Amino acid sequence: MPYFHQSVCISPQNSFPETDLSRIRESKNNWLEATEPDYPGIPAAVKRRMGKSVRMAVGASIPLLKKFPPPDGMVIATANGGMEDCIRFLNQIHEYKEGLLTPGSFVQSTSNAAAAQIAILTKNHNYNITHVHRGLAFENALLDVVMLLKENPQAGYLLGSTDEISAYNYNIDRIAGWFRDEPVLNTGLFEKPAKGTIAGEGAFMVWMNNERTAAQAEMMAVKTIHTVDPGLVLKTMEKFLSENLPSGETPDLVLTGENGDIRMAPYIDIVESYFNESVPVARFKHFCGEYCTASSFACWLAIQIVQCGFVPPLLIKKKGSRSSCKRILIYNNYRDIQHAFILISAVERV
Amino acid sequence: MSRIFITGMGLISAIGDSVEENRDSLINEHCGIGHIRFYKTAYAGKLPTAEVKHTTDELNKKLFGTPDPSVTRTSLLALHAAGEAIRDSQLPSKEISSAETALVGASTVGGMCLTDELYHDARARDGGTPYLSSYDYASVTLAIRERYGILGETATINTACSSSANAIIYGARLIRHGFAKRAIVGGADSLAKFTINGFNALNILSSKICAPFDRDRSGLNLGEGAAFLVLEKEEDLNGKKTYAELTGFGNKNDAYHASSNSPEGQGPYLSMMEALERSGLGPQDISYINAHGTGTENNDETESRAMLRLFDQVPPFSSTKSLTGHTLGAAGAMEAVFAIQSLVYQEMYPSLSFQHPIPETGLVPVLHYTRHFIRHVMSNSFGFGGNCSTLIFSKS
Repeated sequence: MPYFHQSVCISPQNSFPETDLSRIRESKNNWLEATEPDYPGIPAAVKRRMGKSVRMAVGASIPLLKKFPPPDGMVIATANGGMEDCIRFLNQIHEYKEGLLTPGSFVQSTSNAAAAQIAILTKNHNYNITHVHRGLAFENALLDVVMLLKENPQAGYLLGSTDEISAYNYNIDRIAGWFRDEPVLNTGLFEKPAKGTIAGEGAFMVWMNNERTAAQAEMMAVKTIHTVDPGLVLKTMEKFLSENLPSGETPDLVLTGENGDIRMAPYIDIVESYFNESVPVARFKHFCGEYCTASSFACWLAIQIVQCGFVPPLLIKKKGSRSSCKRILIYNNYRDIQHAFILISAVERV
Repeated sequence: MSRIFITGMGLISAIGDSVEENRDSLINEHCGIGHIRFYKTAYAGKLPTAEVKHTTDELNKKLFGTPDPSVTRTSLLALHAAGEAIRDSQLPSKEISSAETALVGASTVGGMCLTDELYHDARARDGGTPYLSSYDYASVTLAIRERYGILGETATINTACSSSANAIIYGARLIRHGFAKRAIVGGADSLAKFTINGFNALNILSSKICAPFDRDRSGLNLGEGAAFLVLEKEEDLNGKKTYAELTGFGNKNDAYHASSNSPEGQGPYLSMMEALERSGLGPQDISYINAHGTGTENNDETESRAMLRLFDQVPPFSSTKSLTGHTLGAAGAMEAVFAIQSLVYQEMYPSLSFQHPIPETGLVPVLHYTRHFIRHVMSNSFGFGGNCSTLIFSKS
């Protein structure tokens, strides 16, 4: 059985180096920017060349790479990689009319740059892959590690995600109607449902292996589907739960990717209303904002929650009446069509 | 562990619109590299590239009848090749759309082929082009998903120039682990102002037709295209025709530099080695290699060194990039199709523009179309970021 061990999450909230989920940092201009540490582990010359998404990913991986043996592989999710560098290079192309350009931004903008940098810094020759399937990139990376741990039961893997906001991709998504036109605070994101949400970013890194000892959470199952039919989302969830939970049992918490966009509401509603009153419902996107790998922030939250058995009140939407919180169902939706379920459980201590 | 077979293939490149057209061009040494005609760049007339010989409008009309303005050239190439592979597999549309079919795409350019439109949309106050949701890599896979209504596992991979080799590996693993019954796997990339400027800034584009493994090689030529394969497991075949079996694969990282290989080709060596180990074969069992062979100074020498370290006697090898150009995210799947064709027809394809071996390694590629006994064929794909992957296909 795959387990989550230590993890690092760089997010817009207080998640690293200290974790404090009793307070919420506010968004600015519909952005939730990541609170970045100083990254003492990254050599200064290397850090200067790094774009934000690469820097966050490398920075989050360093504490884990120091603690654990060299990973048997690294599996990174990012939908876009270095957007800022990509646009910087695009600007150079225009500014210099395709003249003599410097390749730095081009190389940094490739989406496999984070996985590549970590491999280079640690001289690690093992399995190395970058999943980029938009709103399901993280779930695919997670499934990749689940398969790797079946193929190599003794191995240990670094799983991670990273995505950054840039002024330009924010603008493209804003024109496309995915972000709120009017200013809205993350703390009031669910008050007036409207079209669009707020932008976020972050990186998550976790060590995974099959060892229960010292594990922080158990990875039970993951399932994704593309559809715009809420009925099919429900059917997929029913099947997923019946295959992965003992018959008749429900999760102790449903953690959803509700983001204040009315277009996602039908899916959130159908998932929430499936469970009876006793099952609490929580949400997370007012903490991390919307981005392609936002469900990795939910994964990090779930790992924290099953360890202490306590759901931070700021996350709670519906209190429920469960006395413990051992099994969490994460449901995330990315722009209508991409849906994902992840089941995470507390580690059974023998 | 289930054995994985290839039951369908589709391919579009600068040397043809179908798998068979591509084979004809390989046999007849029809090089697809030439002057830039179909995309806007200041390098037109200066740097040769290998374009698919259709305008984006033509591709769009061919595939959609009424052109869909939001579909990018990269996605159109992908739809073209995936369509051929699906028809070739003869799977009924109900099976293609089922939750048991996985789709794994790969791209390194995605919708960024629309470099000028992206530049515009990044600054626009409102309005914007029809491509707002098509710039990312996943847009390519999502276009195929939508056309066939596929409900199974869907993924997009970007490991630079080895992307679609990894898409093949990931699809095979999804089947073996029971997450899919069959998988449509491959990749697509199209030529773009963005990429030609990026590769040019790295000083690795040749102003001449590329000459892989030649002493005087001066860089690569970018190309475009798409290739997709249909993978099914042995238990489901029921006597159906197959082209080959995927018997081995390797994914390793060179862990040396963001845009060049280590001098001894450690990543390439390890990835070939892993593929051999997984297939249970020894180096002497490989009959032929479709090399990565980009034509850059760094790649060809380090790949040669890796081959010399692994093989007592280096098997015959070619770089089909000397005809198709380097198609980046499509290259792994494209060359997998060429490798499989060489198994099916027992033949080897020419590596063009070669004159003198690299003095330090002395290796000479296959120079002309040659009939040859082939039992196991290897295909290499190495990318920026040290992402090295190797596939081995065996006669079914």
